[in-house]
Order: sequence, then C-alpha cells, then structure tokens
Amino acid sequence: MTTVNLQLQQIKERAAETMEEMWVNMGPQHPSTHGVLRLLIKLDGEVVRECIPYMGYMHRCHEKIGENRSYVQIIPYTDRLDYLASMYNNWAYCLGCERLMEIQIPERAEYLRIIIGELQRIASHLIWLGTFGLDLGNFTIFMWCFREREMVLDLFEAVSGQRINYSFMRIGGLALDVPEGWLADVKAFLAWLKPRFAEYDRLSTDNVIWQKRIQGVGILKPEDAISYAASGPMLRGSGIQWDLRRDDPYGIYDRFDFDIPIGTSGDVWDRFWVRRREMEESVKIVEQGLRDIPPGPVLAPVAKKLRAPVGDIYSRVESPRGELGHYLIADGSEKPYRYKVRAPTFVNLSALPVMLPGCLVADAVAVLGSIDIVLCEVDR
Amino acid sequence: MIGGVLESLYGLFGEWWIIPRLIEMFVVVSIIIGFISVAAMFLIWWERKISAHIQVRFGPMRVGGWHGWAQSIADGIKLLLKEDIIPARADRPIFILAPMVVFASALAAYVVIPFGPGLIVQDLNIGILYIIAISSLAVLGIIMAGWSSNNKYAALGALRSAAQAVSYEIPLIISLLGPLLIVGSLSMTKIVEAQYVPFILVQPLAFLIYFTCAVAETNRLPFDIPEAESELVAGFHVEYSGMRFAIFFMAEYANMFVVCAIATTVFLGGWKGPLLPPVAWFLIKTFFLLFVMMWLRWTLTRTRVDQLMNVAWKVLLPLAFVNLGITGLVMLLYPVG
Amino acid sequence: MTAEEILQQIQSRFSEEIRTAEVRRGEACLTIKGDRHFEICRFVKEELGYDYLNCLSGVDWPADEEMEVVYAVSSLKRPGKILLRVRVPRKEPFLLSVVPLWRTADWHEREAFDLFGIRFENHPDLRRILLPEDWIGYPLRKDYQDERFIAYPWDDRKPGGVPRPTSA
Repeated sequence: MTTVNLQLQQIKERAAETMEEMWVNMGPQHPSTHGVLRLLIKLDGEVVRECIPYMGYMHRCHEKIGENRSYVQIIPYTDRLDYLASMYNNWAYCLGCERLMEIQIPERAEYLRIIIGELQRIASHLIWLGTFGLDLGNFTIFMWCFREREMVLDLFEAVSGQRINYSFMRIGGLALDVPEGWLADVKAFLAWLKPRFAEYDRLSTDNVIWQKRIQGVGILKPEDAISYAASGPMLRGSGIQWDLRRDDPYGIYDRFDFDIPIGTSGDVWDRFWVRRREMEESVKIVEQGLRDIPPGPVLAPVAKKLRAPVGDIYSRVESPRGELGHYLIADGSEKPYRYKVRAPTFVNLSALPVMLPGCLVADAVAVLGSIDIVLCEVDR
Repeated sequence: MIGGVLESLYGLFGEWWIIPRLIEMFVVVSIIIGFISVAAMFLIWWERKISAHIQVRFGPMRVGGWHGWAQSIADGIKLLLKEDIIPARADRPIFILAPMVVFASALAAYVVIPFGPGLIVQDLNIGILYIIAISSLAVLGIIMAGWSSNNKYAALGALRSAAQAVSYEIPLIISLLGPLLIVGSLSMTKIVEAQYVPFILVQPLAFLIYFTCAVAETNRLPFDIPEAESELVAGFHVEYSGMRFAIFFMAEYANMFVVCAIATTVFLGGWKGPLLPPVAWFLIKTFFLLFVMMWLRWTLTRTRVDQLMNVAWKVLLPLAFVNLGITGLVMLLYPVG
Repeated sequence: MTAEEILQQIQSRFSEEIRTAEVRRGEACLTIKGDRHFEICRFVKEELGYDYLNCLSGVDWPADEEMEVVYAVSSLKRPGKILLRVRVPRKEPFLLSVVPLWRTADWHEREAFDLFGIRFENHPDLRRILLPEDWIGYPLRKDYQDERFIAYPWDDRKPGGVPRPTSA
C-alpha cells in the first residue's frame, strides 16, 4: 500500500471518531515536546487513548553526510546529534572507529575520557531534571539545575574552547591535554555539586505533589522494555540491571567501582529516581578518575589520512540516554561505506505508544519527559 | 464631612441630581481602575523579582534604573501597541467580550473592599456574598475565551477551569461561613469591626481552607491546571495576544489582590493595627498574603486534574463542614453577648 | 554461550542458508540469504535466547546488485553478540518483517524503508518515518541523486549517470 493510500485510510478512520473523543496535535510547536516532536493524541476528555508520534522535522540525513566525509571529518557532526551530551557522542564515534582500526589509545586519554564523559553525564542529567521539573510545572528546579550545568560547561569550555559542540575527542585519544589546574577545578566543582543533590531533593523528591504526580504513571513493563530494546535509565527504571559500562565495558570502565541504580515498577518515578542517583554514581567515578589519572600523552600516533581496513563493526556505549551504537562499514577508503547511528532516544521513544494509553494529558507530558528525548538525535 | 459637603453640592442641581451622581461614579471607577492597574503592574514586577531571587537570578534590572522598577510599565506599553490578532475561525463577539467579562468581575469586587474605616466604595450589607457572587463570573469569561478561540487547547483549559471553579467555590464559601457566624453580618466593615482578635487565631482551619481554595480560584500554581503551559500551552488564553492578553493578565493579578484582601478582612483583622495608619496595615497584610501566594507558586509542582478534584471534594469540603459544625456548636453553647 | 558455539548452532540448523560465517571481536558474524531469514531470527531469539535487538541497519551494495539488512542482536542475560547480515536482490528488496519477534524493529524497519526503500512484509505500519510522506527516492542508496545535494569534488564514489528514482 502506498503512503498516500495509508494516509487516506487514516483520515477516514479519524473522521469516524465519536463525539467523545478528539484528536489533539501536540507539537511540533509545544513547550513540552523538547524540540519539534509531533504527537497525535486521541483524547477522551482528559484521558489519552492513543498516541501516534511523528518525527523527522529536523532530519538532515546525518548518515548520508557521514558517508561523504572522511573518518575525522565526521567528528563535528556527531556533536549535533545529542547536543546535550556532545562529549559522549564524540567518544562513542571515536571508540567505534578505534575498534574498527584497532587503535590503542594512551592511558591518560582513557582516564580523561572517562572524567569528561561522566561530567557530561552529570550535565545531561541535570538538564533533564530541570526540564522534567518544567514539564511538571516546577520552574525553580530548572534554574537551579542550570546553575550547576553552567559550571560543567565552563569546565568544558576550558578544555575545548566550546560550550555545547565540543568536537574534543579524536580517533586515537583527545585533541589536547587539559589545561593546568583543570583537574583541581573539577575537584572543586564536585565538592560544590555534592551538597546540591539534597537541595534538588527538597524541591522535587521530598515534595508530596511531585511524588504523587509521577508514581504509578507511564509504566513500562520489563518484558516490554526488552522487546522495545529500551536502554539506559528507561531499561533500568523497569528493574533490569543493565549498564554497558559494567556489562560490556569499553574504555577502562572495568577499573572503576560504581553502583547501578535500578527501579522496581518501571513508572516515571523510577526513571526519575534512577537518573537522580546516577548523578551521584557519576560523581564517584569522576573522583576515582581524578585519583588515579597518570601523566603522559593524550593522543596515540595515528596516520594523518585514516583508512580503516575492510570490515564492519557495531560498537556501542552507554550514553546518558542509553545505548548509543555506531554501525560502521569500511571499504578500505578514507570514508566509511556505511555509517549508521543507533540513537538511544529514537529507540526509547518508540516505546511511548505503549506507555501512554490510559494516562491523563498531564501524565503524558511527564511520561514524555521521563524518556529524556533529544530530537536532534531522534531525527538525525 | 466630605459626604455632607457633597450632599449640599448635589442639592444645587435640584432635579438634575443624576449628573453629579454620574460624575461621582465615573471618578470612583477611575480611581479603582487606576489602583488596579498600578497594583497589578507592581505585583507583576514584584513577582518577577521574587521568582528571580528564588531561582538564583536577578530578574528585570535595567528599565527605569532602580532594580528595573519600570519593567511592567514598559511591558504594558508594548502590549498596548501590539497588533490585535483575532484568529480567523474564532467566534468574534465572544472572543472580544471574554477578557472584558473577566476583568469586569475583578473590577466589581473592589467595590466592597474596606481599605480603612470609611475607605470603602459602598459598604453593602451583603458585602461578602456580593464579592463571592461577582468573582464567580470570571469563570464565565474564561469559558467564553476557551470556547470562542476555536482551539482544542483553549477548550480543554476552559473545561478544566469550569470544573476547578465549581469544585473550589464550595469549600471556599463554607470556610468563610465560620467567621461570619461569629460576626453575624455580611458587611465587610462589620466583619473588621467585630475582630477584637484576628479571626485567624479563632478559626485557623477555616483560614487554611480559604487560602488553599483562593489559590485555586485564581488559577495559580500549584493549582494552575487551566493554563498549565507545559500541558495546554497556555490554556484558555492561548489565542490571545496584545492588549486582550494583557487584560487577562491584569485580571489575574487583580483577582489575586481581591482574594487576599478578603482573607485580610475576614481573618487578619483588616485595617486594624497599632501605630501605622489603617490603610497601611491593610495593604501590608494583603501584600504579605500575596507574597505567600507567589512563594508557593515558585516552590511547588503542579497538581494533576484528578488530584485537584480529590483534594477539593474529599479533603477540603469535609474539613470546611467540620469547621462550620464546630463553630456553630460553640456559638450555641457559649452565646456571645 | 561463546560466539563460536552460537555460530555452530546456527550453522547446524541452517547450513544451506549461510553464505559466510566468522567470529570477529567476540561476535558471531553471519551473512545469510533472504529466503528463510525470519526463521533464523526466530531461532536466534527463541531458542538461543538473544532477545534484545540492538540495531537494524540497511546497507546498499550496488556493485553486487544487492541490498543488505544488518541485525545486531544480543541479550541482557548472556554474553555473546550476533551480527546477522541478510542479503536481498536490489531490484526487489522484499524481506519479512521481524516486528513479531522484536517490537523495536518497528521504527528501525520504517527507517530502513524510508532511507533505503527496503519493503518489509507483514510490517504493521510501513510508512516513511524521518522524511516527509511525499518524498521521492531513497536518500541512502548509493545512486541517489538530488539537485540540492552537492558532493565534494574529491568524492571518489560519485554516482554519475544514474537517473534519479522517480516513484516511491
């Protein structure tokens, strides 16, 4: 059936809807869709009966662009995928290339990658907590979280000169070593950050309205989570202890000691609480990294014109939003033959239609917020 | 004394007495509108400063020099000069009428607010009943706005607003009945005069119920579900812009002032207080309550529709009845005077 | 289960379907023909227990006149990963959908349909997902041409001469 016919059929179905139900277009311009996502929601009064997501408003065929750039030239484009965790995107892509080309990166670069990556996770979760507060109608936590995120951005600006799109990682290590005194700044930041979690809790976790709003809402059962290949905090919120940092370690994560918080019932509260505690675990990891980091070079000696041997690889990392995978096929030239990004939010978002039916409109916003979508990554 | 002078002046007009009466009404209404505008502008600026300081920022700092005091005036002028947009498929007459209805109901409530002894436009003997009746009309305007906008979000917001107003009006009125039983009058002046101690000490439960309902009545967080911007974008006024939007905005702050003024009158002893002049006491008390409302707004999370209804019908209403029953029982057993 | 064992099990069941098979970086990598790929996927999911579909990706191989769909499958309970490449003829890129096995394949297959034009039969709702519904052509095919798309002059794989596909 052609697409046009399918659309006609949908329109007919929609025309047959009863008086009690109405289709509401949420987005693409809506304050709570975190970008340009369009949700077609069937409402029965205030209750959501059905949800059809439409996306692609920011599609730029990232993968086609990638096929026409050399391996190194792709790095700046990966920043623009998940712009709230650009460092992690750099890392994921570079790691994929390094695995493909079998490059060993220096010890110091491994440590710095983990420190930067975990700081990025903290920043990303902070922004998530803030915007999730906005979705629930709590404005103040948004500003409070941005205060600390700003500090992380300052740290990243000191190493890379950029605040959002860093392009800091290179295939074979990092672009530069960190400036003098930067590690001490990180330590000072962590000392400032740790008491802040209790402050956030006073506004969010300890607030009865907050608790009642998100407990028992938008439940994703564990079997659904696996079937929809949900990953990251979505999967852990459903009670499955699975974290690529521990279960399929990349970099040197196997040397670090940290817990993996999980939820029990898979509702919005669990996803919130998993992310909230993950920030504390990230703090632990950064502290261990700061303790053990050795001196040395940060970039492995690599050829100027990188060519990967013929072959393919599916490489995955645990980005703040879940499993960020890169499927690369190399044909021996300077450019990848195929460059596919497995975007965690794209996959997590596909589970939305099973979580929404039965929710109220207010819950729909909370559920969508709990997925932590970044539309640039969904649309690619 | 002023009244006497006026009366003798009116006598000069003989059978054309209606002319000075109309002039008087016009002057009084102008004063009220002036007060509402200034108070609303001040409240908007104040709220922005309070929210900013709660959220570790400064808020407006530039316009007017000292801490951006002229920001609201600048915003008001901007909104006045903006293009007036009415959606093509909107129900024009109702769309235009809706903000007026909302504002008029807020305006009319000011008639019986006792700013001080004698400083009241008209001391109606049914003062508080009048206020409650008049302020209920605001819901009508909101529903008109939501319906005429021809927008699903606006309609949803209007429906939510209707449900919320109906639910919260009942515990609100019943919580007010307790103090009224003690006073034995509906006149605002009499209520203040009857308070040898502020009624908040006698009727703390009634005050809490009243204040909660008042927050809900004015659609403020944590009960701002009719306009919940993260769900319904802006609820009933999503299609409004320019001056019409500004009128909605001003009506919201005018209503806030009204409910806080009632709370001051009924529970906090109105204009009574030592040293300072009565008007100052009245304003201090009212603005303190307004501050509490803003404080709540920038700290709490929005409730959900079903939770909101649960609180109204299952918690506040029974409590208000219990309060009323106990008050009546005490009055019966220990009759005053 | 190690990658070698996975490979052995699949090979013993579907020996004539398999074109190439190797173990690389602890992963079992297989290339199979399109006819019975659904059965192989079901075997992988239900009998080997690899119930987590990480990634589904289309690949265009115009030199071989073939299209490829790559399934990266793993499990949350056991080690070992499988990379399953399925080849279908480029002229008739039809393939059975694996949505009944892994529901996550829904959007992945829509994406592959959108960008490669691979038709997944039995898919519940095969529509374009990222591109507008009225888009013509499949951008990730190697011979896709668009007047707005400017290849870099040093592009050594410039399509050249291939007419732009006209209908969906």
